[in-house]
Amino acid sequence: MRRIALLILSFGLAAALSAWAITAEEIVKAVENNEINEEERIEGSMIITDRFGSRVKTFVSYASGADKMLLEFTNPEEKGQKILRLEDEIYLYFPEAEEIIHLQGSALKESLMGSDFSYEDLTGEGDLLDLYKVTLLGEETIEGRKHYHLELKAKKRGLAYPKQEAWVDAEYWVMTRANAFSLSGRLLKELEIGDIRVVAGKYVPHYVIMRDAMKKNSSTEMRIEALDLNAELPPDIFSLEELTW
Amino acid sequence: MKLGRIAFRNIRRNKRRSLLSGTAITIATMFITFAFSLIAGMLGDYESNIVRYVSGHVRIRNVEYDENEELNPLHLSVTDYEEVVRRMEAEPEVAAVVPRTRFFTAIYHNDRTYNGMGLGVDFEREKKVMKIQEALEQGRLPQMGQKEMVLSAGLAEELGLGIGEKLTLLTKNKYMGMSGMTFTVTGIVRFQVAGFNESFFLVPIDTTARFLKMSNEATEVLIVLNDSKRVDEFAEKAAGILASMGRENLSAQPWTKIGIASGYMQYAQTAYDVIALVFFLLASTVIINTTMMVIFERMREIGTVAAMGMTPQEIVRLFFLEAFFIGAIAAFVGVLLGIGITIPLSKTGIDLTRSMEGVSLEISSVVYPRLNIRSTVFVFFYSTAIASLASFIPSRRAAKIEPVEALRAI
Repeated sequence: MRRIALLILSFGLAAALSAWAITAEEIVKAVENNEINEEERIEGSMIITDRFGSRVKTFVSYASGADKMLLEFTNPEEKGQKILRLEDEIYLYFPEAEEIIHLQGSALKESLMGSDFSYEDLTGEGDLLDLYKVTLLGEETIEGRKHYHLELKAKKRGLAYPKQEAWVDAEYWVMTRANAFSLSGRLLKELEIGDIRVVAGKYVPHYVIMRDAMKKNSSTEMRIEALDLNAELPPDIFSLEELTW
Repeated sequence: MKLGRIAFRNIRRNKRRSLLSGTAITIATMFITFAFSLIAGMLGDYESNIVRYVSGHVRIRNVEYDENEELNPLHLSVTDYEEVVRRMEAEPEVAAVVPRTRFFTAIYHNDRTYNGMGLGVDFEREKKVMKIQEALEQGRLPQMGQKEMVLSAGLAEELGLGIGEKLTLLTKNKYMGMSGMTFTVTGIVRFQVAGFNESFFLVPIDTTARFLKMSNEATEVLIVLNDSKRVDEFAEKAAGILASMGRENLSAQPWTKIGIASGYMQYAQTAYDVIALVFFLLASTVIINTTMMVIFERMREIGTVAAMGMTPQEIVRLFFLEAFFIGAIAAFVGVLLGIGITIPLSKTGIDLTRSMEGVSLEISSVVYPRLNIRSTVFVFFYSTAIASLASFIPSRRAAKIEPVEALRAI
């Protein structure tokens, strides 16, 4: 799986970068290159908090490169439900359903398991530099650490987030915060990333919290419980045929 | 000669004039009688539909459900609903008790999604309340525990689905996660209420519980009483029973105090009152206009009787009596005709299907007018009184004119 940030969001900016003569484009390219793994397996949990309290969803996810991802829920209430992403297409599998659901159009904007993430957040949307005009706004210190402040403005219409801001840790070269805005400049979502650990020579965030600014008292925390960046995945795991097994 | 006899003789003397005046009053009275019956039928129908489809006479829900209803909070349910149903069924005032689970859903069919409103029901118990078997147009009702459903006719048409075909429902479950389940269509129902035919479908409540991860839970329990006038009284009793069961988290509300139902009822009542007022004004205008016209055209006659020594008061009384006799007879005939129209239509109904398309109010596509004796008697006296009183204005004016002046007129 690509790191949680990329798995969940097109926000995804986490990187190992050289610390000199940096341009915004270089930061983004390096982040994207760094986030993509050949094959990976993650066990994780999602704590969804809203006005009714908190609920925990657990999952196992598999990813290959930037375009293929399979998420399977393991908590008792949704056990066996799967979400398959093939490039920008999302497919859902439910054990009690006799057909695979191909999510399209406005359905992609629906909340993922009642969380602050939407299905749309799972889609990669392609190369960020193809989609966004990126500007380096400057350097800032957050919690005592030097960060690069980036602004991303959509080059085309129809993207989930027309404008984004992101802060990249200048030492770990990992994006630690991001905000997404609507076309009118209204804050849509806030993302914070933490618990950065070194895994297989890479800085990998193990904690993500997302807040949907359109919902009151709502947040979703995701934690990586186990991560294997060199997983050997079964062949055809990312196919519609295998989805029902 | 007594004025009453003169008035009768005048009525008989000019039959065509009397007939014209009487016919106008008859038609107006008939119209009001029928309109009142139609409105009574619509209001009764509205109440009946609210009770059958929406709230029962008394509705039991989790207290917090109502506060969050727009979020479809399935976790704020009536837990162990069968215990509540059995307890309420034991009460002598109760005619039927039904558990229901309402849920919003996306319907997935042929790579497209549609919005739908699902209702998990106990089909056997609903035979007494929703009477689905009467609405079943094709196929059969689903079997409890099976992944089967009946679709409303409009929804079946929109989806292009028939008996034996399948569709998949996607919805938020009790734990706010997603659930998906494929159902087979076993029947198509055409509800009386046009609005329900556009998005409703019914599934077995036990299958719904499995689908929504709700074990032996329902979003509501509806109670239908033998006597609909004792709704408030029974709601209080039901609240007491729930408290004695240790179910303080549940509330029992009479349908008249449920926001949407009572709001719609008030809206419907106001709308119908306005319609009734318009009917009344129109009919009254016809009666007043006809009566006044008939008197004004008799100025020469008024001059003659005045010249013969009849006092202005006697002239006014004479015309009042004439109008009263014509009004009473015509109103009586009008009421009879109104009843004559209403009775057959109260059996066959008036099909409003086309005019009710897209209307979400709980009004049936076929409305059955209801004759109300009190309002019918009122209409008779009202028409008679209006016709009689309408005679005062022209006759008083005519009586004040000098006989010579009156004789010159026309």
